[in-house]
Amino acid sequence: MSKETPILELQNVDVARSGELVIQNANFTIQTGDYVGLVGPNGGGKTTLILSLLNFLPRAKGTIRLFGINIDKFSAWEKVAYISQTATSFDNKFPLTVRELVSLGRIKKGNVARRFTSEDWQAVEDSITFMGLADVAHKRIGQLSGGQKQRVFVAKALARNPEIIFLDEPIVGVDAATQEKFFKKLSDLNTERETTILLVTHDLTSVFCRMSKVMCVNRQVEVAEITEDLDPNAFLKRAYGEHFHFVFHRHECRGVFKNDSH
Amino acid sequence: MIVISILDLLGYRFFQNALLGGVIAAAACAAVGLFLILKKEAMIGDGIAHTAFGGIALGLLLGINPLLGALGVSVLAVLAISYMRRRSIAPSDSAIAVMLALGFSFGLIVISVVRGFNVELFSYLFGSILTIDEVDLLFVSLLGVVVLLFLGFFRRELLAMVFDEDDSRIMGVPTNALSIAFDLLVAATIVLSIKVIGTVLVVALLVLPGLSSLQLNLSFRKTILTAVGFSITSTMLGILFSAAFDVATSGVIVLVAVLLFLLTITYKKLQ
Repeated sequence: MSKETPILELQNVDVARSGELVIQNANFTIQTGDYVGLVGPNGGGKTTLILSLLNFLPRAKGTIRLFGINIDKFSAWEKVAYISQTATSFDNKFPLTVRELVSLGRIKKGNVARRFTSEDWQAVEDSITFMGLADVAHKRIGQLSGGQKQRVFVAKALARNPEIIFLDEPIVGVDAATQEKFFKKLSDLNTERETTILLVTHDLTSVFCRMSKVMCVNRQVEVAEITEDLDPNAFLKRAYGEHFHFVFHRHECRGVFKNDSH
Repeated sequence: MIVISILDLLGYRFFQNALLGGVIAAAACAAVGLFLILKKEAMIGDGIAHTAFGGIALGLLLGINPLLGALGVSVLAVLAISYMRRRSIAPSDSAIAVMLALGFSFGLIVISVVRGFNVELFSYLFGSILTIDEVDLLFVSLLGVVVLLFLGFFRRELLAMVFDEDDSRIMGVPTNALSIAFDLLVAATIVLSIKVIGTVLVVALLVLPGLSSLQLNLSFRKTILTAVGFSITSTMLGILFSAAFDVATSGVIVLVAVLLFLLTITYKKLQ
């Protein structure tokens, strides 16, 4: 795939759930290496949009292209990883170690019941190390802290060496510092591995400080490149409504993201 | 005295057959049962086991191997439960209740119409591993090999599905097909255990070993292996004690399994 081909492209997409139009006429493109913050009011359709990008929900209208291929004919799902909103709220007694859970990320469509090779296990170990989980790899997932749980699910997603990752806000119930570290890890992933990331979040400051694009979803979908010229407040008002006010100063980013080394 | 008599017993063909059949059934029950516990669907085991009673009666009526009858009826019951669940006709527990009642009442009608094989029926209700013949052993072994091979090949996909079904479907696990295949596996496991422990108590062998090993907070791999170990231990001790003291095998198997469960709970509390 050439650099110019968008990794994700939507044309006139409508998505309905239970007969109600949730996403209306979505048109946008995401390029390889983009780091996209998906924001919008609750119930605005963020999860619905992500599920339809995974071809998990039928579209009422329109075309979605993944890696330049119509999603209905797309088969290279191992290039795509997804972390759901509820991923980290599993039963803490479930008998799985970190390593075992991450290894499940190597399961491939159309190739079930295959034996794992040394390449599979190497990918599992690399993901665990990348996400800073080597010390707890032998632990049961129920014994981990909230922040570690988030990272385990990213490690599981990374185990398949995806080119694009969809994260549906797996950051509920962790403190601000942990959340910041998590975003930092995702930034590393984006810059070091050129992984395209689409992240649903309510942390608007992190979006405008860290990410390359912002996507606002409230039935309509608006996408903007985050540049010096973009007025975050004006952009967000279009989706959240006139009463919405977001104070953002670019110089704050340096303070907030003091952990960043580059 | 007891040691000598057990050593003597080991020399008998019937006892060797019993041990072999017991090990196969114990391993299959524990492995399948662990997935059932994690799916929170242990009662499908009990439901299918009771439904199988109808199949046993049918087998006796038609003069075919009752285990074959049980297999046929169990498979139909599993497919019916699965259908009702998927089409939202009934939730899982209600669908199980319907099939349990249907299978059992069918069996009751058959035995009330055709009197005479009540003794034989009793052996299927409560197991009679010490009387297992070569044909039944072959049947149990074949089913056991199918169940264990399936679990061996598809364990990761099953695990991913049990852990998070939606997520596993997105990852490429064919969850619909795998669910049905797993339910069929449950039916096969129950049928192959009927000779060992009987339809009434088979749920104990499905649930207790897995529950016990879950208390130990191990990895998945160790949890399933420990469950199989517990299950085989219970079954072996059950067969040995029942042969040595002439008491009901299935009763002793369940008692040993409960004892192991209590031990693991105590161990967990002491930790």
